[in-house]
Amino acid sequence: MKVRVDAAACVGHGRCYELAPGVFGEDERGHCRVLLPDVPPEQQKPARAAEANCPERAIQIEA
Amino acid sequence: MSAPNPDPEARTVNLFAPEFARCPQEVYARMHAECPVARAAITNSPVISRYEDVIWALRHPDLFSSEMELQMALGTERPMIPQQIDPPAQTRYRKLLDPHFSRKKMAELEPDMRGYANDLIDRFIDAGRCDFDPDFAVPLPCTAFLRLIGLPLSDLEFFLELKNGIIRPQLKTQSIDQEVNRTARVESGRQIYAYFEEVIDDRTARPGDDLMTQLVHAEIGGERLSRNEILDICFLLLLAGLDTVTATLGCNIAYLAANPKQRRSLVEKPELTDGAVEELLRWETPVTGVPRVARKDMTVGGLEIKEGELVTLLLGAADIDADEFEASDRVDFERARNRHLAFGGGPHRCLGSHLARMELRVAMQEWHRRIPEYQVAPGEAPRYSPGIREVLYLPLVWDAPR
Ligand code: HEM
Ligand code: SF4
Repeated sequence: MKVRVDAAACVGHGRCYELAPGVFGEDERGHCRVLLPDVPPEQQKPARAAEANCPERAIQIEA
Repeated sequence: MSAPNPDPEARTVNLFAPEFARCPQEVYARMHAECPVARAAITNSPVISRYEDVIWALRHPDLFSSEMELQMALGTERPMIPQQIDPPAQTRYRKLLDPHFSRKKMAELEPDMRGYANDLIDRFIDAGRCDFDPDFAVPLPCTAFLRLIGLPLSDLEFFLELKNGIIRPQLKTQSIDQEVNRTARVESGRQIYAYFEEVIDDRTARPGDDLMTQLVHAEIGGERLSRNEILDICFLLLLAGLDTVTATLGCNIAYLAANPKQRRSLVEKPELTDGAVEELLRWETPVTGVPRVARKDMTVGGLEIKEGELVTLLLGAADIDADEFEASDRVDFERARNRHLAFGGGPHRCLGSHLARMELRVAMQEWHRRIPEYQVAPGEAPRYSPGIREVLYLPLVWDAPR
C-alpha cells in the first residue's frame, strides 16, 4: 500500500496524523507530512481511516 | 433524489426559527429532499445544503468570497482577520497563526484544561444539579482563552460581561431596539479593544510565554504585525473561540442526556470519546452555516445565484447528507468515514479546531468520569439559540455523590 498527500488540498484538519500517527506527521503549520509512503501491513487500517476522515480528500491510497 | 419542488414557499427556509435551532436536522432533510439550494426567509438569500456543493464552495474562495460588508459593526471599519479576507492575503496570516494553534501546541494546555474542568465540576457536583450553560459550558472555553492568550484568570467575569455585550447585547440591554443594542455592542467592543491595547503595551515591554507576546513579536515577510492587526486578530479569536465551544458542549450534553444508552457506552468505554466528539460535531454542527458573497452569476442545484448575493453554506445540512454519510441519520460513535464540515473546510478551516477538539475531549472525559448519570431536570426542556446553537437553558440533575 502506498499513500500520497496532495499538499495543495491539505488545509490542516489534522485528522490524518490523529488517526494514523505512524503514517502521517505534521509540519509547523499543522499540515500533513507523509512519514511512511510505503505503508506496512500493520499500519494499513489506520491509514485507511485517515483517508476516510480527511474532509479535503487530500489523501490518496494505492493498494 | 426527487425533483426540486416548484412551489416557491417550499423553497424557503427560516434559519432563525426556534424549531430550527432545536431540531435543524428535520429542516436539513427536507431541503435535501425538496430544495437542495433554497432561499432564506426574510433576506431571500441563497442557502446551499448538499455536501458536495458546500465543500466545493468552501474550496473556491474565488467564486465564494469571505470579503463582505462588515456586519458586526463595531466602529472599527476593518475586516476581521483572517475570517473576512480571501487568499492570498488570508494565507499570509494563516501561515503566521497556524503554528500557534497546532495540535502539538494545544496539547501543552491539556493538563491545565483538565484542572479547570474539574474546578468547575467541584463547584456544583454535590448539589446534584447545575444550569449547564452558565455553570460549565460558558466559563470553560473562556478560561481556556484567557490561558491561551496569557491573560489573568481573575479577569474571567469582566471578560464574560464584555463578550456578552458584543455577541448578545440584547441580554445585557434587555431591549430589542436595534439602535440600543448596536450602541451597547460598540461600547463593549471599545472596552475590549482598550483592554487588549494595555496587554499589548505590557507584552511589548515585558515579553512572556504566551500567544499575546508571540503576536506582538510576530513577523510577516520581515514586517511586524501592526497594532491594529493584533487587535483585530485578538478580537476575532474572542468572537470565534468562545461561543462555538460553549454551543458544542451544550449540544453534546443535551444529546447525551436524552440518549442514555449512548451515554453509558461512553462511560463504559472512554476510548470512544474522540469518535463521539467527531460524530456529535457532525450530527449537531453547532455552527450551522457560514456566509459568503457570490463573485459571479452561477446556477447551483437548479437555483440561480447572482453576483454580489450573500450566500449561506449550510454546514449542518452538508453534515447529514445521505449522499456523503452512510446511515446519515444515525448517530454512531464508531463511524468509520466521517469527513464532516463542522469546522468548515478549504482555506478558512477553523483556526481553533485543534484547541476546540482538545477542550471537547477533556470536558467530555472529565464530565463523564465524575458525573456518569444525569438527565434534564424533570418537567424542563433545553432551549437552543438560533444562529450558533448554544443551549442557553439546560438544567441537569443527578444523584449527588455521598
Ligand atoms: C467546536 C468549536 C468550534 C467550531 C464548531 C468552530 C467552527 C468554525 C467554522 C465553521 C469556521 C469557518 C468559518 C468560515 O469558513 O467562514 C471557523 C473559523 C474560525 N475559527 Fe472556529 N470553531 C470552533 C472553535 C474555535 C476556537 C476555539 C477558536 C480560536 C481560539 C476558533 C477560531 C477560528 C478562527 C480564527 C476562524 C477563522 C479562520 C479563517 O477564516 O481563516 N474557532 N470556525
Ligand atoms: S486530514 Fe487531510 S487536510 Fe487534514 S492534515 Fe490530514 S491531509 Fe491535511
